[in-house]
Amino acid sequence: MEKLAIVSEALRLELHDVLGPAGLLTEWAQRRTYESDGLTGYRAVPAFVALPENRDQVVGVVRACARHGVPLVPRGSGTGLSGGALPHPDGVLIALSRMRRVLDIDAANQRITVEPGVTNAQVSKAVAGYDLYYAPDPSSQVVCSIGGNVAENSGGAHCLKYGFTTHHVLGCEVVLPDGEVVELGGPTLDPLGYDLRGLFVGSEGTLGIVTKVTLRLLRRPEAVRTMVADFATPAAAGDAVGAIIAAGIVPAAVEMMDNLAIQAAEDDAHAGFDRDSGAALIVELDGPAAECEASFADVVGLCTDNGATAIRIADDPAERARVWKGRKAAFAAMGRLAPDYFVQDGVIPRTRLGECLDQISQMAAAAGLRVANVFHAGDGNLHPLVLYDGADAEVTERAETLSKQIAELCVAFGGSLSGEHGIGADKACSMPTMFTADDLAVMDRVRAAFDPEGRCNPDKVLPTPRLCGERPGPYKPHPLEAAGIIERM
Amino acid sequence: MDRELINDCVHCGFCLPACPTYSLWGEEMDSPRGRIHLMKTALDGDTAIDATWVGHLDACLGCMACVSACPSGVHYDELIESARATIEDEYRRPWRDRAFRRVLFTVFPGRRRLRVAAVFAWIHRRLGPAALLRRTGVRDRLPPRLKALESVAPAVRLRDVVRRTPALVPAVGARRRRIGFVSGCVQEVFFGDVNAATVRVLAAEGCEVVTPPAQGCCGALELHGGRESAAMARARKIVDVFAPLGLDAVVVNAAGCGSALKDYGRLLADDPRYAERARDLAAKVRDVTEVLAELEPRAAYGRLELDVAYHDACHLAHAQGVTGAPRTVLRRIPGVTLRPVLDDGLCCGSAGIYNLVQPEAAAELGQRKAATLAETEADVVVTTNPGCALQIARWLDRPIRHPVQLLDAAARSPSRPRPGH
Amino acid sequence: MTAETEAMIDVAATHRPRDLTGARAAVLAARDDDANILVRGAGTKLSWAGRPTTGRAWHVIDTRELNLLVSHDAGDMTATVQAGIALHDLQAELGRAGQEFGCDPPGTAGRSTVGGVFVANDGGPRRLRYGGVRDHVIGTTVVLADGTVARSGGDVIKNVAGYDLGKLWCGSLGTLGLVVELTLRLHPVPEATRAVRVPASAPVAAAVVRDLLASPVECSAMEWASVGRGALLLVLEGPARGLDTQVDAMIAIVRRHGAEAEPVDGASDQLDTWRQAHSAEAPATRARATSLPTDLATIAEALTAAVEGTPVEASLYSHAGLGLHDAVLTGGDTRDHAVVVNRWRDAVTRTGGHVVLRERPAELDDHVDPWGDPPPARYLDLMRSVKTALDPHGRFSPGRFVGGI
Repeated sequence: MEKLAIVSEALRLELHDVLGPAGLLTEWAQRRTYESDGLTGYRAVPAFVALPENRDQVVGVVRACARHGVPLVPRGSGTGLSGGALPHPDGVLIALSRMRRVLDIDAANQRITVEPGVTNAQVSKAVAGYDLYYAPDPSSQVVCSIGGNVAENSGGAHCLKYGFTTHHVLGCEVVLPDGEVVELGGPTLDPLGYDLRGLFVGSEGTLGIVTKVTLRLLRRPEAVRTMVADFATPAAAGDAVGAIIAAGIVPAAVEMMDNLAIQAAEDDAHAGFDRDSGAALIVELDGPAAECEASFADVVGLCTDNGATAIRIADDPAERARVWKGRKAAFAAMGRLAPDYFVQDGVIPRTRLGECLDQISQMAAAAGLRVANVFHAGDGNLHPLVLYDGADAEVTERAETLSKQIAELCVAFGGSLSGEHGIGADKACSMPTMFTADDLAVMDRVRAAFDPEGRCNPDKVLPTPRLCGERPGPYKPHPLEAAGIIERM
Repeated sequence: MDRELINDCVHCGFCLPACPTYSLWGEEMDSPRGRIHLMKTALDGDTAIDATWVGHLDACLGCMACVSACPSGVHYDELIESARATIEDEYRRPWRDRAFRRVLFTVFPGRRRLRVAAVFAWIHRRLGPAALLRRTGVRDRLPPRLKALESVAPAVRLRDVVRRTPALVPAVGARRRRIGFVSGCVQEVFFGDVNAATVRVLAAEGCEVVTPPAQGCCGALELHGGRESAAMARARKIVDVFAPLGLDAVVVNAAGCGSALKDYGRLLADDPRYAERARDLAAKVRDVTEVLAELEPRAAYGRLELDVAYHDACHLAHAQGVTGAPRTVLRRIPGVTLRPVLDDGLCCGSAGIYNLVQPEAAAELGQRKAATLAETEADVVVTTNPGCALQIARWLDRPIRHPVQLLDAAARSPSRPRPGH
Repeated sequence: MTAETEAMIDVAATHRPRDLTGARAAVLAARDDDANILVRGAGTKLSWAGRPTTGRAWHVIDTRELNLLVSHDAGDMTATVQAGIALHDLQAELGRAGQEFGCDPPGTAGRSTVGGVFVANDGGPRRLRYGGVRDHVIGTTVVLADGTVARSGGDVIKNVAGYDLGKLWCGSLGTLGLVVELTLRLHPVPEATRAVRVPASAPVAAAVVRDLLASPVECSAMEWASVGRGALLLVLEGPARGLDTQVDAMIAIVRRHGAEAEPVDGASDQLDTWRQAHSAEAPATRARATSLPTDLATIAEALTAAVEGTPVEASLYSHAGLGLHDAVLTGGDTRDHAVVVNRWRDAVTRTGGHVVLRERPAELDDHVDPWGDPPPARYLDLMRSVKTALDPHGRFSPGRFVGGI
């Protein structure tokens, strides 16, 4: 259609002016490599990909989008698991991967300021020399970006004790959808006015683009003790966790893997997990040495008292690293068990873990699919991995349905659709199971205060008829494209 | 490009931080995840194999750091090789590229031509042209690839040009192993000292070393460059030469060669005349540090007071998975301290002929690596690949040696423990 | 300014809802009357914000009968409360299961409600370890000006579904809606508490605090007070065994700076006394400053300089590990207080922080803006857009917030 083509050419020229040739991708094959994030079931090729190198270029791109009324979608490292960085086929995908400088380290005040493309692991690495670290540790931390963490309010295994991203973001510089720049928060606590910074964290890229983040750092704990306990069933392991919490102990992390997940992790990391174990429970304590040692002994005792069939204590940092490597690679290692998988991110009250897992396994059996379970047992955040073969359309559909049912089951148990991956494109249509129409309408009002034109990462988080009328799924050409009326640029 | 191998990738992105080109350019197409995606769309017929597509795949160093990083076990090494082969088959490069590559693939794989090239290199360095180029500023105005070629050329002594490793070196004392030695091309001509040291150290450790004179080239450059049939021809020759020799191990001291040799089983799997012998031979291939690390040290090593920075060559660390053995053998020398190299572990940029065909990217990576090595303040940098040595030497003004050269020096040092003392 | 606030407005009706239905009815009644809404619990923080806009009549919604502990799930360490529950009552109830709500604001003569603590973003010394009140609220139910009931968050601690509106309500001082219900995350009550008192000037205290933060010692509170020549109170909490080692480590660090650490008997009571110092009553003025923790000495000196030449006496009470400071001004008249506040504010702003006013004489607002300079234009604009989105007719406490919102 001529009009689209004309608008696009004018936009292309403006983007080219802002970014230079190396910063703008227009060729089909190149744009196509950005068609999905970590959730490969959702794909869409953006009209343009922008690779800004600094905040002013971000502003230029956002302004160009505003002038032409096109949607924009921000992207960090593209490892998100809810389709939050799924591009809009008529819009500009803004990848922040080239903005990856560490800007300032204030060790005495335990703060660091970074650009959004810096990876989570790089933050801790940058301050390791000061005996500091950045606590939220998503499993993809070697590659996921801080900007992405801010968008999703990412958690990780250690958020039981230390909280998630929102507890560690002191300030961010944000480019609003109209191209204006605002500072939300700052290096001191309690910024003046409404806590827009707190609202922004976890807003999944729908309120603006973060171009600078000031983070709170923690002092590296004096002692860390890690153990792996084997149990006959996840429910038994869950009981042990309950006992630990009831004893007033707050572990730094409590993770669980079921048998299928253990097998995948072992195939990859050879971390020494017992392939025959019904469930492996990883418990990590940290803190001042004396307290840590004492509580650790208690935890070992509680596990034994609650039916642990074997206990393995990580004796040195190398072994500890192996244990975590096994756990953190578990998702990606699923590739060894099946060609594809859907991962869910539901949360349930921790006390109902056994019940919920039983139901999931019944649902899986009914659907004829395998589900591996990895989860943050301390806070009830489940990661059921529905395994399937994407080559078979029927199986794919069954897997998608089961995956959605599991997420909604968590809500039925009094929990949440998402503990850390975000709602994104994947769970937007399930939001009405958790919130009323009024709740969602109010969220939309707040969103509109930032983005009145609805162009900033549209069709994410909140359900819309356009999004939820169609079934989510693999790449579907735009209806006009399918009709041969428009073609890919 | 095998669809099944491609489907192993779950798009998790763990490979991105390990990839040198992603570290340089921060764009998806120049990351392993993105390159696999490009292969997929080409296989689907959704993308043409055009200059852009080829450009991104050419930019891959083949360092295989991504293979080590991948939790799903994706065989990216096989994928990139088959993609390069596809490019060779289906894409017509611009004439300058073709000419340059033809020169490289003619001169490098093969000692005879390299010796001729070495003579020219000697003339160029010693008899004036190099200095002239530099003084007149012409050198700086050379096209990047020619400039790279010029700067990579190592210092050569005329006697190196004619040196050859002896065909048979007996073990010192009781024979523990019978070793076949792949003497290499660049290594033999330009770093003959390394080969001499290799043979001496192996012999001192009770190995009989057989070095067949007409063995030819192992084909690593061609294999990693996608020239499959040329690589297979070389592999067949090596198998013909080494297989009948009744060897306990086939030893190589260049990481790039070692990784190619260990791959012979897969390379010749479809050739019924060679498949089994190639597999058997490949199973015997070891890096010299692996063999030495396995053997209980017999030779006496004198004291060398040296701070050493060990640089992991990608083709040894990632492609072969060998990181412990070189460090183990270095620690056998009293007085040697290993200084940790504190960087992301990214490739130095040598990567076969990469530093010649992608000079700007290689230069950036090489400079970074040299800077990190310089920061260790080590007395000597030690690595197991001549390509790395040449590349790093361009920006680092410190001695660069192979581990066996240190072992050799220690074994011949007057301070070494003597029997009876 | 407590009763005075109410005196400044023309109260047409007062509601005392007991549940969500009643709360909604109250808001709708105000709407039908075209009135503004002032929400109050115990009224301990009514003085905190700016002067309300006059013009319309007001309905007051008193939350003190919205005071149920709706549920307490000890195993999951969560509890849901109605906003008007007194903090004191909540803690007593939770304490029976060995748990607590981890916020410890100064307890005022009245009995602050949990809702009040939340919308005022109040806190106390233990914020150092447990985080601010926004970090403890995992779910909210709020009634907006048009009667819409808006829920966000949920009943589980880990939850990123939807926008985190809870962050928006926290600190909004009743200008965005009526908070009716809160779901809280809880903590186990620590087994033991130990404290040491360190006589130290501000610079020495800042150095000790910096070293403590960089050490493995996990303090629950680090308080500095300017009384006398200055003193630090350092508090540790946790399982009884292991505390001794930490106390020793703490004392060692203190001594490195040439100071002496005096162990304190009745650590909890002592902490309570120090906690209460962070509050005041008119005719005193309390000004709250934020800064980087390392700027403690600068902040203290600036306050000393600010009172020079005036009859005002100022004491500084700092949450030293957090960079949050309360200056309590006594003596002198309102104009004198204004001078001191303005001077101090200038100095604090130059270090990158800001100063807002808490309890104070009503007339002080004739001379000093309780919020200070307005924030940058686009930011203020954004706040106004959010306010308009939620309260388009500006019924909830208009004029009281930053920028006159």
